[in-house]
Amino acid sequence: MSAQASNQPAAAAHAAPYRATKLPDVKLLMWVFLASDTMFFGSLIGTYLAYRNRSLVGPYPQDLFDIPLTTVSTFVLLMSSFLMVLSLHALRQNDLSKFRLWTVGVAVFGAIFLGFQVYEFTHFAHAGLSVHQNLFGTTFFILTGTHGIHVTVGVIWLIGLVIASYKRPTSAKDAVYLEIAGLYWHFVDIVWIVIFTVVYLVEFV
Amino acid sequence: MADTKHSSVMTYVIVALILGVITYIEFALVEYPQAWLGPSWTLFWLVTLSVVKFVMVVMFFMHLKDDDRTYSGFFSSGMFIALATFVGLTAMFILPRAVAATKPANAAAGQAAHAEVPEALLENVRTGGASRTPAQIADTPRPTDRSIEIAAPKAGNDASTYSVTMPETAAATAATQPGATEGEAPQAAAAATETAATETATTETAETETPQTETAAVSWDPDHGTAVFNANCAACHQMNGQGIPAAFPPLAGHAAEVYALDGGRKYLLDTVIFGLQGQITVNGGTFNGVMPAWGHLADGDIADALNHALTAWGEAPAGFTPYVAADVEARRGDGLSAADVHAHREALGLN
Repeated sequence: MSAQASNQPAAAAHAAPYRATKLPDVKLLMWVFLASDTMFFGSLIGTYLAYRNRSLVGPYPQDLFDIPLTTVSTFVLLMSSFLMVLSLHALRQNDLSKFRLWTVGVAVFGAIFLGFQVYEFTHFAHAGLSVHQNLFGTTFFILTGTHGIHVTVGVIWLIGLVIASYKRPTSAKDAVYLEIAGLYWHFVDIVWIVIFTVVYLVEFV
Repeated sequence: MADTKHSSVMTYVIVALILGVITYIEFALVEYPQAWLGPSWTLFWLVTLSVVKFVMVVMFFMHLKDDDRTYSGFFSSGMFIALATFVGLTAMFILPRAVAATKPANAAAGQAAHAEVPEALLENVRTGGASRTPAQIADTPRPTDRSIEIAAPKAGNDASTYSVTMPETAAATAATQPGATEGEAPQAAAAATETAATETATTETAETETPQTETAAVSWDPDHGTAVFNANCAACHQMNGQGIPAAFPPLAGHAAEVYALDGGRKYLLDTVIFGLQGQITVNGGTFNGVMPAWGHLADGDIADALNHALTAWGEAPAGFTPYVAADVEARRGDGLSAADVHAHREALGLN
């Protein structure tokens, strides 16, 4: 715990960016951001459900969704979260090469997930679904598109961390910066856990 | 650091394995539906499993389990507001839809518009059929013959002399049977209404009857029209064209009024081919639902279903010329939206 550090303000100011909460500012900030992002996605998912089954013209979800395909992409995203915790663990052990390996792995898995999404969107567009086509198209593309943008930002962020580890000395003391990237990444994962069930699976129950 | 307790790599591996297995179970529940489980329990387990995944990722991968409570506090408050938003959206958008038909105001408006519908029948509609026992439903008299006859145009007249003869119904027969028990009273009342309607139609037919000639008529098949209507339209508008108060507008009488308007003939076609969305008023009753587009039906089917709706429950509108397949085909090209059709409706002077 950081009780000792906070009792000596001057030393604390040098040691780590702690404040009255005794918690790393960046990490607290990330959790506050994730709380607000939860509300954001909560609204989008709520809107999708409010307009569910209200489309006047096709294509409809049942015509388009490919559950085996989406299950695979869901699995890929879950496993990227697994690699993320391995990466953080490695950095805390000062194991730079494994940190880089796992972090690149997360980014690659994220990119594979995005590839599935690009394929899916293209397929849907060919089938006649657009943002303008019907309520399903509008709410579906806004929801999954916003999620896809989050994944894209995460991939760029993680690659940036790997590049930064070559440009300046990186060690276990920098773990909090990887940790907040990881928190963001896991959050994107849990949003998809909800979307996978609420948007995709329930259509076929 | 505040978060000194780190889960071991082994914990991560176990959590990842469980997440993978749960995802496969979710996939299997949907891809290989289990009859013994039923849709409700399948849905329950899908939601439960996804909540388990959610919690596991948050607890173990995001370390909230061992981390400072401040983080959990912030995240929980966000989750709480998100769930409140979700409940609010449900309350605003999904619940009203379910209760709209049961609102007293709507029911009253619908009743005023359909005063001729017996209270017992309305009660039956409100309760989704639960107000009658299966035996009573089975005993309800049904029309034996729903076909109608249309006389060909008469000499020296235009198509407005088309006349319609309603068939005798089994209901009419039932109404005249004495000794109806207490439980059958509502049905007898309904039957009496139908008898009155039939008599009116017959009377009007007689008045317009003129000597027939061999003038070629625009012919259509009433049996086919009845079949198409009953298969596709009657679920909402009902076989007697009365619709359901506050839910689905009546066609009987109203369709003929619309047809008689300038542009009404085209508008009726558009409604069936492209659907209709938005609030409308019919006979003083307000309806705010959605009519789906029926453009997937064959041209001839749409034409005859419309002919049926215009002729089956009353006098055909003045200047009525039966629709033919070519009329339907000609309208398809416009590719209107349901909202466009609503705009056309307003352009006709209807609301």
